[in-house]
Amino acid sequence: MVVFPPTTPAELIALILRVITSHTFITIIIFPGFIHLTLVVIFLTWYERKLLARIQLRIGPLYAGGPGGILQPLADGVKLIFKEVMIPYKASKPLFLGIPLMMVFLSALPFAVIPFGQHWVIANIDVGLVFVFAMTSLFPSMILIFAWASNSKYPFLGGLRSLFQQVAYEIPMWISTLSVVLLAGSLNLVDIVKAQEKMWFIVPAFLSFIVFFIAIMAELERLPFDLPEAEPELVAGWYTEASGAIFMLIFMGLYMKLYLMSSLVTVLFLGGWWGPAFLPQPVWFIIKTLIVATFIIIPRGVYPRIRVDMLIKTGWTRLLIIALANIFLTILLINSGLLAAWGI
Amino acid sequence: MVSLVIPSDISFVVLTAVTIIGAIIALQAKELIYGAIALAISFIGIAGFFALLDAPYLAMLQIAIYVGAVVVLILFTIMLVRRERGEEMDKRTDAAEGSMGLWLAGLLALAISGVVALAGTSLPTQAPAASLPVSDLGPALTLQYPVPLIILALLLSAALLGALVLAKVER
Repeated sequence: MVVFPPTTPAELIALILRVITSHTFITIIIFPGFIHLTLVVIFLTWYERKLLARIQLRIGPLYAGGPGGILQPLADGVKLIFKEVMIPYKASKPLFLGIPLMMVFLSALPFAVIPFGQHWVIANIDVGLVFVFAMTSLFPSMILIFAWASNSKYPFLGGLRSLFQQVAYEIPMWISTLSVVLLAGSLNLVDIVKAQEKMWFIVPAFLSFIVFFIAIMAELERLPFDLPEAEPELVAGWYTEASGAIFMLIFMGLYMKLYLMSSLVTVLFLGGWWGPAFLPQPVWFIIKTLIVATFIIIPRGVYPRIRVDMLIKTGWTRLLIIALANIFLTILLINSGLLAAWGI
Repeated sequence: MVSLVIPSDISFVVLTAVTIIGAIIALQAKELIYGAIALAISFIGIAGFFALLDAPYLAMLQIAIYVGAVVVLILFTIMLVRRERGEEMDKRTDAAEGSMGLWLAGLLALAISGVVALAGTSLPTQAPAASLPVSDLGPALTLQYPVPLIILALLLSAALLGALVLAKVER
């Protein structure tokens, strides 16, 4: 029996138990919320270093605990926390310290609408896809403001490049998801996954999968599109001046965004939680998402960087046109009745 | 289905405060960048109003387009136009301009209260019971209001052509 407000210790314990076993608390704090996200971000930093090392015939992290140095990210984290945060001369202090926090916040917030399973979603809202895009579209402005707040040349150049990049990729990215929305008939991410029970949308919307994948590579500043943080030209791009805990926050935000975009690919094109029944739904979701993340990471060890003008030309003359043409193709496919067997 | 709305007057008051204070700071900030950030906060407040009115789709688009794109363009313009950091802005806003703004705001308030007074009891006092789903927006635009939609499209194309003409460089 749960009584509110509690009067005896037993009632207090009953209330606390009731709260921490409630679905809302578990989804927000444990899975798919805070603890799960932190663990995945820690894992992804190690995973990227190890994967790139293998591609380049190196060994990568090795000594810090466990198999393959899997505790290396923890060691890095401790090191970064104890380092001094250097604030550049005449930098804007509130923005310099506040923007990294906002970045973590903004990249964690969209996970509220990502369905990790039929019941493993924090907020099942009608406009989930638009919500994710609204939150991620704020990221370049955060980068630009942080770059400006650093009061330094290289971050500023990196911030401007980030803006050019946004102009190039954002419109193709939005338009390429429209064909998925047409196929599912909904902007709700849960409904989009439910519509893929018989066939994943990567098959009827293959072109838009290609466009979306290239666009999120640019969104995530992954090679070959890592112009804003180009190491040989701009030191470390827009976060050159970040140090210590600020640097750690920025990295957490970036890797959370990597996970976010990979899970969005899984939701939109790879059938979300659907899979053979011998594994639970969230496990299938995480496996698919990590595979997508692998394919996003691999080009960093393989490809060179492209120039700003090449990026903008690709975005506006190729990706946008393919995405627009794909909408008409999708409408034709839906009206032709070829997809009726898959319930579309 | 989880609704985005917290049905309370407190959220309305907080949103109003955020929007108006953001707008005032956007006009008064000495550093233009802080002004742009305050403008973004003001836009987020307006998005909150849309969410409060049970129009989550509009709220999301308000954030994505106004905060995500328009404010970024403003920031871009501020940063690319060369000026000294922390330059004095006070010289431009003299007393006459300030009083002009006050007069305009007073006129607007008078007009709005006049409209409300004339409308009287015919104003709806309660929100419609069921909120409209997003999927009703498309049919409403294409079937109910096709002419405004076409005019809007023409206007946007004209704006695009104008931008192209302005940006054209003679070779």
